[in-house]
Amino acid sequence: MSGNGKNTVPNAEEVRIGVFVCHCGSNIAGYLDCVALTEFAATLPGVVYAKNNLYTCSDSGIAEIQKAIKEQGLTRVVVASCSPRTHMPLFKSSCAEAGLNQYLFEMANIRDQCSWVHMQETEAANLKAKDLIRMAVAKATFLTPQEDIESSLVRRALVIGGGVAGLSAAGALADVGVEVILVEKEPELGGLLRRINRLAPRGEAAADVVRELVSQAESKTNLKTLLGAEVTSVTGVIGNYEVTVRKSDGTVEQETVGCIVVATGAVPFKPEGLFGYDGRNVITQIELEERLRDGPLDAKHVVMIQCVGARSTERTYCSRICCLTAVKNALYMKERNPDIQVHILYRDIQMYGAENERLLWESRNKGVRYDVYDAERPPVVKDGVVEVYQPLLGETEEIPCDLVVLSTPLVAPEDSPALANLMRIPLDQNNFYLEAHAKLRPLDFATDGIFLCGTARYPATVGEALAQGLGAASRASTILFKDKLVTSALVSQVTDRCDGCGYCVDLCPYGALSLEEYEVDGQIRKRNKSDKILCKGCGLCAATCPKGGVVVVGFTRRQLEAQVDALLEAL
Amino acid sequence: MDVGRHPNIRLLAYSELEKVEGEAGSFRATIRKKARYVDESKCTGCGACNEKCPTPVTDVYNLGLGKTKAIYRYFAQGIPSTYTIDATQCRNFQPGKKCGVCAKTCQAGAIDYKQEDKIVEVEVGAIVVATGYELFDARRIPEYGYGRFPNVVTALEFERFLSASGPTHGHVYRPSDLALAAKLPETEKAAQRAIKGLERYEKHFGLTSDAFYIEHEAGARTGDEDYDKWAEAIREFRRLDEDLRVLKEKVESMESAHRLAFIQCVGSRDIRYNRYCSGFCCMHAIKEAIIAREHDKESEVYIFGMDIRAVGKGFEEYKLRGAHEAGIQYVRSRVAEITEGKNHELVLWYEDTKERVVKQLPVDMVILATALEPSPSTKQLSEIIGLEVNDFGFFKTKQSPPLDTTKPGVFVCGCAHSPMDIPESVAQASSAAARAAQVLSGSEPMSLAS
Amino acid sequence: MNREVLVIGGGIAGIQASLDLAEMGIKVHLVERLPSIGGKMSQLDKTFPTNDCAL
Repeated sequence: MSGNGKNTVPNAEEVRIGVFVCHCGSNIAGYLDCVALTEFAATLPGVVYAKNNLYTCSDSGIAEIQKAIKEQGLTRVVVASCSPRTHMPLFKSSCAEAGLNQYLFEMANIRDQCSWVHMQETEAANLKAKDLIRMAVAKATFLTPQEDIESSLVRRALVIGGGVAGLSAAGALADVGVEVILVEKEPELGGLLRRINRLAPRGEAAADVVRELVSQAESKTNLKTLLGAEVTSVTGVIGNYEVTVRKSDGTVEQETVGCIVVATGAVPFKPEGLFGYDGRNVITQIELEERLRDGPLDAKHVVMIQCVGARSTERTYCSRICCLTAVKNALYMKERNPDIQVHILYRDIQMYGAENERLLWESRNKGVRYDVYDAERPPVVKDGVVEVYQPLLGETEEIPCDLVVLSTPLVAPEDSPALANLMRIPLDQNNFYLEAHAKLRPLDFATDGIFLCGTARYPATVGEALAQGLGAASRASTILFKDKLVTSALVSQVTDRCDGCGYCVDLCPYGALSLEEYEVDGQIRKRNKSDKILCKGCGLCAATCPKGGVVVVGFTRRQLEAQVDALLEAL
Repeated sequence: MDVGRHPNIRLLAYSELEKVEGEAGSFRATIRKKARYVDESKCTGCGACNEKCPTPVTDVYNLGLGKTKAIYRYFAQGIPSTYTIDATQCRNFQPGKKCGVCAKTCQAGAIDYKQEDKIVEVEVGAIVVATGYELFDARRIPEYGYGRFPNVVTALEFERFLSASGPTHGHVYRPSDLALAAKLPETEKAAQRAIKGLERYEKHFGLTSDAFYIEHEAGARTGDEDYDKWAEAIREFRRLDEDLRVLKEKVESMESAHRLAFIQCVGSRDIRYNRYCSGFCCMHAIKEAIIAREHDKESEVYIFGMDIRAVGKGFEEYKLRGAHEAGIQYVRSRVAEITEGKNHELVLWYEDTKERVVKQLPVDMVILATALEPSPSTKQLSEIIGLEVNDFGFFKTKQSPPLDTTKPGVFVCGCAHSPMDIPESVAQASSAAARAAQVLSGSEPMSLAS
Repeated sequence: MNREVLVIGGGIAGIQASLDLAEMGIKVHLVERLPSIGGKMSQLDKTFPTNDCAL
């Protein structure tokens, strides 16, 4: 919804501001005197119409704004109400519908930034609200009409990583009609799953899942898989990413895609130097998986130690799936050999959810022993024995064993930083990719058009990775099925004052700025160029530039100065 | 908000699914849009009706911790913002009674007592079930005293306490103290009435009550029925006055509930009730504890659990932050019993597994992390749509593709699927959307026979 | 093949699924039992681990 209504309001240059003060029920009116604020607004320079109403965002509130635009010939609209994040798009499109360019609209946040936070100081809050309204009106005076920026896109996607999550995402995208390129750096598809024996909680063979996923991928005509290949560069912008892939034979391929899905996975941590790890009698869970898959196990007394190299000072996080893996493997071993002794030493047993918890109870019933240990007194692995202090008994027990299995966390692969750099996407403190919002956008990156799924994001089970792959496909589809992309006009704009010093270029977190050369009177000069689609209007460049060589539309110096002057008027 | 405005989303709120026929690719669904008795197109959400309505009703959104009216809005910022009349509570709908105040008050003329349920039929290619969960009734665990001890609350109730828009505006007071404060106005009124009564006697007999009482006790001015009544009235007033004084003192010296105990796994991981783990309650308790500390610097918080399940991204760090910044003490223990003292103070009885000793901990408030249970909608929908349910009572799903129910073309996500937190629900919702889109595209994705 | 989807439940999961499908150009019918959408999340004050406002 671009709302680029033709400006049918006469005298668009003349400043005729309408101010609408919202009661927001009692959210604002309960603390601020909205009637007085409206009267105050009417006295401000440029304001020709001021009205207060109960809920500006309601149908009747919108109708009032639209009516006023037409009848009063308003050329600017200011709404003093909630946060722009709540209803700004609604107000803007409503203005556009009434014939006023949507960029001639401004808001004053007298709720989230005033009434809600100053409930105990209403007198001061009222004065603040006046300041906020005065500032918004001052800025509105200097707003200029703008047009949304439109761009095209290609209905193609790149999926990086051919493990469970990547295959799931690629398959789903192909199914809905997107052309997919899947790049996998190993010579085979399947990722970590190829080393796994059985899956929890239902016990199916990992090999079957891999086989099925791969055969599905191969059956889709619009899914191209490149094995032994790596992405070496990514440029461009959402809708038109230019990707370079180096294939196994050394040749290079260029592809243009609309969206990218990152599914590069994670690797099991190798606990060198911890708990006597030697890869023979003291092994990791993944090494156990491989042994179990390859044949019957030789051991009679197995001790598993949880949280090895995790939930520690070097690596604070809990790797989510290691308890599940230990319990699964313990149960598997018990089912095949009821006489085997399996003893799991843990700090917290992380069998979250319904089916996992059931697995825990089942394993207990089958005779798997569980004992808690404190982080301050971890078990000690000695020859043929594991010594552990049991806080529940207050005694140290010596558990005889012939195999020790260490449950270690999944860690980010070593090449994560390089790939992150390539696409300008962030990593968290553990080098896992960082999503746009921990809660509400777990599969998106802040950079538009790039999505995340599977253990590249955080340790996950196969079921979770499959689901996340589907989810990333859905997120990418919300972009790829549009006819065109529309982005805000409030982005950077290079002015005549730019002399190509380039201070701003490296600062841009979105890579939207670059220097271009041009010739003037036989001399080569440099000048900044901004990509309006990549730019998010953050303002770093404008704030840095000492010459006014680049500005952000909608936040020009003149507009901001007017706001500051308006604020200082009160003093 | 985005949902209410999206041109591709038709929002049918206050509606229920009644029937589903057909199969993947072509389902026919019958939906009943219940009558709100308010015209959605006219209601501006101004709230004047709610103010004037004479019928107070328990506020379900605030979990019974407050009152609303028979014409109400579920919560202030709800979408749609239309008000609704609860016909089971509204006087106008009870036999023999007539009201109509809201219709008179409404300036938009939006009240329509004659409105009827509407039946809506839709044809769709796929169905996504996202009906969420319900919470375990903590009264089923009598040893925790929920429902008997006012200072034992559930985690969701505590949310409402912490919320600035909740019934206590974010202050964590003991419910027993709040109840005392609520008694103050009526006690004052009673004292006023008593004074009025005494004044009548004073006027009639021409002397002050105190003077009369001294004489009466000394033996003079006795034998008369009026005198006896007066004397009784004076005694009554003095009792009331004393009660009022004590009450005022208590209310004035009322402090926030400082010492809080969170008890995890109430109804979860419990062989008597639900054997599964509810997924988010450990994290929920930590969050509530951190926020309680933000609201009250003197708070002292204990979290009692068997295992503290902080398995999501950033969760273990959040748990540690709880310990360092908010001083949370994590105690590995399953609380055996809670007892109550004369002034509603609580004592927890538990085994400290580190020291192997049974201990008692006096606390101001106890917050129970009650188990997540399948929503009642699950059973209803399983019948209406024809879906199987697993042993835990959630919709039965395949391992892969994940989210597929036992009926092709119908997918489940979020807590209707199994206990999970918000990021997982959001991610799964996108996954379900992808599955639905796949069905609409006519493709047959991979599936294993599990 | 019908290009419309029915989503039952207007909590956070139902809302997200509806938005994704709508953005793909698919028409969604979102059915919610209560008078407004938002589900349990609307009853929360803040959410972990960021302590953001739940609304």
